Amino acid sequence: MKKKRFFMIKELGAIIGTVVFLIFFSIMNRNFLTVENLMSTLTMASELGIMAVGITLLMISGEFDLSVGSVFAIVPMISAISINSNMNPILAVSLSLLVAIGIGIMNGVITIFTGIPSFITTLGTMMFWRGIILAVTGGFSIMLEKKVGFLNLFGGLIVGEIRFSTVWFMLFAILFGIILERTRFGNWCFATGGNLGASIALGIPVKSVKMTNFIVSSLLAGISGITTFARFKVVDPTFGQGMELEAIASAVIGGTLLSGGYGSILGTFIGAFMIGMVQSGLVLIGAPAYWYRAFVGVILVIAAIINSWIRKRVAG
Amino acid sequence: MKDLVLMKGIKKSFGKVQALKGVDFRVGESEIVGLLGDNGAGKSTLIKILVGYHQPDEGEIYFKGERVNFRSPWDARAAGIETVYQDLALVNLMPIWRNFFLGRELRTSLGFLKVREMKKITLEFLKKEVGITLRSADETVAFLSGGERQAVAIARAIYFGASLLILDEPTAALSVGETRMILNHILEAKKKGIAVVFITHNIYHVYEVADRLVLLEKGEKIGDYMKDEITPEKVMDIIAAAALGKP
Repeated sequence: MKKKRFFMIKELGAIIGTVVFLIFFSIMNRNFLTVENLMSTLTMASELGIMAVGITLLMISGEFDLSVGSVFAIVPMISAISINSNMNPILAVSLSLLVAIGIGIMNGVITIFTGIPSFITTLGTMMFWRGIILAVTGGFSIMLEKKVGFLNLFGGLIVGEIRFSTVWFMLFAILFGIILERTRFGNWCFATGGNLGASIALGIPVKSVKMTNFIVSSLLAGISGITTFARFKVVDPTFGQGMELEAIASAVIGGTLLSGGYGSILGTFIGAFMIGMVQSGLVLIGAPAYWYRAFVGVILVIAAIINSWIRKRVAG
Repeated sequence: MKDLVLMKGIKKSFGKVQALKGVDFRVGESEIVGLLGDNGAGKSTLIKILVGYHQPDEGEIYFKGERVNFRSPWDARAAGIETVYQDLALVNLMPIWRNFFLGRELRTSLGFLKVREMKKITLEFLKKEVGITLRSADETVAFLSGGERQAVAIARAIYFGASLLILDEPTAALSVGETRMILNHILEAKKKGIAVVFITHNIYHVYEVADRLVLLEKGEKIGDYMKDEITPEKVMDIIAAAALGKP
C-alpha cells in the first residue's frame, strides 16, 4: 500500500523533473547553482506562476483561458497610458485590473450562456484583445515616462535579489492552494470539472463556480502583467504572446488534467519553477535562446505522459 | 397511507416532443415505489421535474402536504429529496470523503473544511450503514465497484436525513450479488422511514422490494398497482403491449 500512497502525490512528476533539471544544469554550468541565478529563475517563474495559478483553478473546474496572454499585455498597457497622462498610479493600476475582471466576466458569460467551449471563446477574445492592443499602440512600445514608487510593490527588489513578484506569487499560491484544498468552494471546483452532471444533480452552483474562476484567471493574468511591467517600465504590444501556453504547460507539468477535475496549485508552482529553470539554465549553458520553446515543448509532452501514467494508478 | 409526494397532471414538452402528457404520481411515506417503463417512456423526465432539474409546463407538485416548486436540485436536497443517478452519483477523481459531503460540507466558523471530522464520519458511516470497509477515506471513488458506488450514494442520502430517496437504474450495470446488496440497502432505508422511488426497466429487480408499481409509457401513466395485485409477467405484458400498440 505504501507504493500507492507514493503515487498518490499529484506533484510527483513535477518534483522528479525539477530535480533532474537541477542536477543537469548544475553539472553543465557551475554558475547555475548560485543564489543570483536561482533568484532570477524565481523571478521568471513568479511572473509566469501568478498567471498559472489562476489558469490552474479554472482548468480544475473544467474550463480554459487562452486570453490570459493578451490580458497580461492589456492591463499594463492601460496602466502605462493612464499614468503617462498623469492619473494617480494607484488609481491607474486599480482601473486596469478592473478591466481584467471585466474581460474575465466576458469570457465567462459567453462560455456559460452560449455553451460554446471556453477554448473557442478565449481563443477569440485572445485575438480580439491582442488586436486592440496592436491597434492602440500602432505596434510601438509604451514607455513609462516617470518614476512611480508604487510599482515597486509589484516588480521591485525586496531583499537582496528577491523581487516583490516572488512574494505575490507565494501569497497567491498559498491563498489559492488553501482555497482549493480546504474550502467548500475548492471542493466545488474539483466536482464541477470532474463530473459536471453529478455536480448539477447534487445542487452545486456550477455556473457561479466557473464564472468566479474565469474572473480569477483573468485578474491574476493582469497582476502578472503588472509585475513584469513594473520590472521593465515598458509595455511592448507583443507582451505575453504565447505565455498562455506556458501557463497551461506549468499547470499540466504540475499534474493538472486538461480535462478538468484534477490538479494542484503546488504542482503548478513547481511546474512554473521548472519552466523558469529551463529558461535560465539554457542561457547559462550557452544554448541559443530559440531552443527554449523547443525544450519546454518536449518537457510538456513527457510530463503529460508521466502524469497520465501516475493517474491511472491513482484513479483507475 | 399519507402522501409524501403528490404530482398532479404533470405535462412537459421538449421542443415538439411531448415527454409527459399529464401524469399523476404519488409516493406514500416509507413506501417503495417501482417506476417502470421502456426507454423514453418519461420516467427520468418525471423525476427530474420532481427534483427541480426541469420545470413542468403544467401541473402541481406537493411534498409533505405542501405545494412546492423546486427551482433546482439544491432546493430539493434541502427539502429532503436525494437522487442517485446511474452515472451522475459520484465524482470519480475525487476522494470518497469529498464525495460523501459534496454540497453539504462541514465547515468551521471561519469557513474552512473540517477535513478530519468528515473523513472519520465517512469511514464510520459507510462501515456501519452499508458494510463497506475502506482503508482510507482519501481513496478515490474510481477504486470502488459499481455496487459500492451506489451504496456510497445511498448511504450519503441516509446520513443527510433524506425522507425520499430516488434511485435511477441503480442495478442496471451490477452483478447478481451486487444487485442483491443494493436491494437490501433499499429495504434498510425503508425501515428507517425513508420512501424510495426505484426507476428501472427490469421488473424482476424491483418486484422483490417494491410495495407498489407505477407503469409509464410514451409520457402517460398506463398502470398503478399494489404489488399483490399483479405478477411480474403481467407487468411485462402491459408494457410490451403499450410499447407496440396504439400511439
